[in-house]
Amino acid sequence: MAASATALTLPLQHGEKRVDDRELVRLSQNGTEAAFEELVRRHQQRVFALVAGILHRPDDVEDVAQQVFLKAYLGIRRFDQRAAFSTWLYKIAVNECWDYLRKKKVRPLVYEADLSEEQVSRLDGIVSTDRPPESASARMETREILERMLGSLPEQDRQLLVLKEIEGFSVQELAEILNLNVNTVKVRLFRARGRIMDAYRRRLDPSGKGHASSAASRKE
Amino acid sequence: MPRDMGLGNAACEQYEALLEDYLNGELSAADAKVAAEHWQSCAGCRAALQHAAASLRLLRAAESSADPGPGFARMVIARIRAAEIDQAARRSSFWQPLVSFGWRFAATATLALGVLVSYNAGWGRRLQPNVATARPTDGIDIFAPEPARAPVNRDEVLMMVADNSHAKF
Repeated sequence: MAASATALTLPLQHGEKRVDDRELVRLSQNGTEAAFEELVRRHQQRVFALVAGILHRPDDVEDVAQQVFLKAYLGIRRFDQRAAFSTWLYKIAVNECWDYLRKKKVRPLVYEADLSEEQVSRLDGIVSTDRPPESASARMETREILERMLGSLPEQDRQLLVLKEIEGFSVQELAEILNLNVNTVKVRLFRARGRIMDAYRRRLDPSGKGHASSAASRKE
Repeated sequence: MPRDMGLGNAACEQYEALLEDYLNGELSAADAKVAAEHWQSCAGCRAALQHAAASLRLLRAAESSADPGPGFARMVIARIRAAEIDQAARRSSFWQPLVSFGWRFAATATLALGVLVSYNAGWGRRLQPNVATARPTDGIDIFAPEPARAPVNRDEVLMMVADNSHAKF
């Protein structure tokens, strides 16, 4: 970190032209702190989303996300830019999450609790009318309800659904960062959709009709 | 072969990836035509698709993770700096015993060298015997007269008397 932050502000903002990631990586490899800080700013939201999607432990997300960028900084000289910086960074994030869970000897926090009638009817409204809640707080509450349902799914199904549908990662990105074949990701996603809807209908109809069919679906 | 997705929704295995593409709006026109022809005749895939579409509505209603804000990047940089300081301190503490041993070794070697040089230059030479004065006493002087020795028989006595008499004349 030889160059000062002020010295780097100029080239990054020169002519109102956005410097691309490749150039920022090259500058970071030469020890330019401001270039790396810009990379952090650009990718922090996605790294946060990825870590949150895997860990499912809100309290630890920030700490792990910081650790991801620290690892990226320490290893950036070895990054040869054959892949996109974002892909490389997301892989670090995935590994960091698994390391964290292994060190803490915990599974991602999962819980499956019964939903209140109000919560079930709220979900039902979303599914039947296709009218998602507009306010951020209502959407946040919906997420909390969904997280409860997602807790009943196998861990990989939960992660795929959260990262794809809630956090907005593409199938291609998921395949790259999770080291899976694109087709495998698609098939798993499609099956996971069936399982989450299965869990949802079990709550709508707790009489047991759904339980039998869900047991059948889990046999495969 | 249809696969049960739960609640009796069965999808054909070979169409699952295609159905996922369709849901994401990523199906090419040609593939969409093939898929549509299949769905018209396959109730299982049709039901599974409806089921999956409902999951899409449900999941997309949830809020994604919030941006950590502008302070996050600053915190990351601060953590990097702290890690660098820590790393430098650890690196120096790792080499410290070796460095101090090296200095001690160098000091001892210098002292030993100094002693040897000074010994060779003066102190040692003073202890050596004086060659110039010692040579006449230690060596044999070939010009010195032979020491007189006692005759051992009668012939030697006569020879000695004859030499002395001859020396007088």
